[in-house]
Amino acid sequence: MPSRDTETWQRAPAVPDTHYVSGLVYSDPEIFEEERSKIFGKVWALACHESELPKKFDFRTIDYAGTPIIVTRGGDGRVRSFVNVCSHRGAKLVNEVSGNTRRFICFYHQWAYDSEGACVGIPQPDAYNETGLRAEDCGLREVRTDSKYGLIFINLSDEAPTLNEFIGDALEPLSPMLTGTELEVFHYQRSEINANWKAWMETNLDTYHGLMHVLLRKTQVNSSREITLFLGGHAATGGSGQKYGDYGNWAAREESLALPGIGANEMKNGDLFPNFTILCRGTVIRIDTVTPISPHRLLVECRGLGVKGESESDRHQRIEHHNQYWGFAGRNWPEDAVAAERCEATFGSGAARHQIIAREENLRGNDDGMLRGFYAEWSRMMGRPANNPFNRS
Amino acid sequence: MFSDQAIREVIYRACLALDAEEFETFMALCSPDFNYRLTVFSPEIRKDMTWLEQDYAGMKALLEMVPQHMTRPGSLKRHVSVYLIDRDGETATVTSSFIVIATDGNGKSSVFVTGNYYDDIDCSGDQPLLRSRRAHLETRDLGTGTHMPI
Repeated sequence: MPSRDTETWQRAPAVPDTHYVSGLVYSDPEIFEEERSKIFGKVWALACHESELPKKFDFRTIDYAGTPIIVTRGGDGRVRSFVNVCSHRGAKLVNEVSGNTRRFICFYHQWAYDSEGACVGIPQPDAYNETGLRAEDCGLREVRTDSKYGLIFINLSDEAPTLNEFIGDALEPLSPMLTGTELEVFHYQRSEINANWKAWMETNLDTYHGLMHVLLRKTQVNSSREITLFLGGHAATGGSGQKYGDYGNWAAREESLALPGIGANEMKNGDLFPNFTILCRGTVIRIDTVTPISPHRLLVECRGLGVKGESESDRHQRIEHHNQYWGFAGRNWPEDAVAAERCEATFGSGAARHQIIAREENLRGNDDGMLRGFYAEWSRMMGRPANNPFNRS
Repeated sequence: MFSDQAIREVIYRACLALDAEEFETFMALCSPDFNYRLTVFSPEIRKDMTWLEQDYAGMKALLEMVPQHMTRPGSLKRHVSVYLIDRDGETATVTSSFIVIATDGNGKSSVFVTGNYYDDIDCSGDQPLLRSRRAHLETRDLGTGTHMPI
């Protein structure tokens, strides 16, 4: 096969328009800014798991696509979210990543807010009489918040469809695992990686890349995998068997530890557009969320979930199963990170022109259908085709 | 009983062996009942977490598989300061601090992780051996991570 010159290298791949992606979607700053408003400003995104806010007045803070957010459980038990900005001088209101408080008090001038976002304290208020500024007009900016299956989601848009409309049936294949027993987060880890956020998401959507992982080459039965696509760019996979005993000194997983609705040596995944993945490896669940920081940098947050109230030995075993893949020195996680950075090294510089997503296996095995579904939704929301976002000839 | 210097040396040699990815040398510094645990506290979920735990056989198997993996380019260098050596019979309990420097394929170095080692050293035999190690991380953002224990 001949190599290619400049013109043929830049030419679009000889596949349908829906089956390749322009490198510009990973690197162009205009596209990045549009993604933040047209996609991340409109979709429901995971903020945390219910178990992270077990008590009244518990709170978590997160950074979501450049917007600081407080998520808190009010005295009425309802979870609400607010932009983490004091109404007075715009300082970041809460700096801790978690805690419990009835009042959020700004460090700067001591303005205070309750767990429902109302401004309930302005020191030396008489000085505002002249201008008529009233505390009731200085509440926090509330962010839409809803939950499903113990997962708390937020949406920056006041006009977006409801959470249930957004998700549709996409999490149904995982509902037995998420609802059959009460879950809690036992593992939280965040990493910033030098790559575009979509490069990380692709490691969850691209089943073909299992060839990169020696662990998956040894243990994963891909031929039986079935892929289901949902409206909105969401997807699910199931039917993939795991032969854990074929790696190192590992053993097959005990069925007694299996989560409801799945075999201990089975795997089911679910992906919500644009940035959310659940991986259920029979006995343990990992949830990924990826957030854009810049065109060339992403934040990935990973949670491990086990059964609330389980025995110490069961939890120990579940953590081990989690860590085999996704812990420190986990066998898979660092390789996905390296893959994302290697793609950044070429798309970020413009050296790579296109990405091919043209595998067709009738939504089985290593079909690229999930990637195509993701980029179809990306194109719809952005109003730009992912294969040619600037409509250049 | 071994001298403090001999006890420090087993810790330093263990770091040099892991830096060089000389896995047999590292395992030869561990006792058969070796236990390794890497822990970190998450303020996000307000819990202590175990991110890696292995016994002797598990650590040996984990290390033996490393060459088959697509690991991060470059190298890791463990810089250790031994702070405390406390003795109880034939066991020495050692507290150290570590900084691990990652050097990428282009020779650029940066701090990868930092934390403390809490080691128990078995001093009952011909040489001091690592019986247990808890590596407690201060660092929680791992960047691209690693396949190697710290």
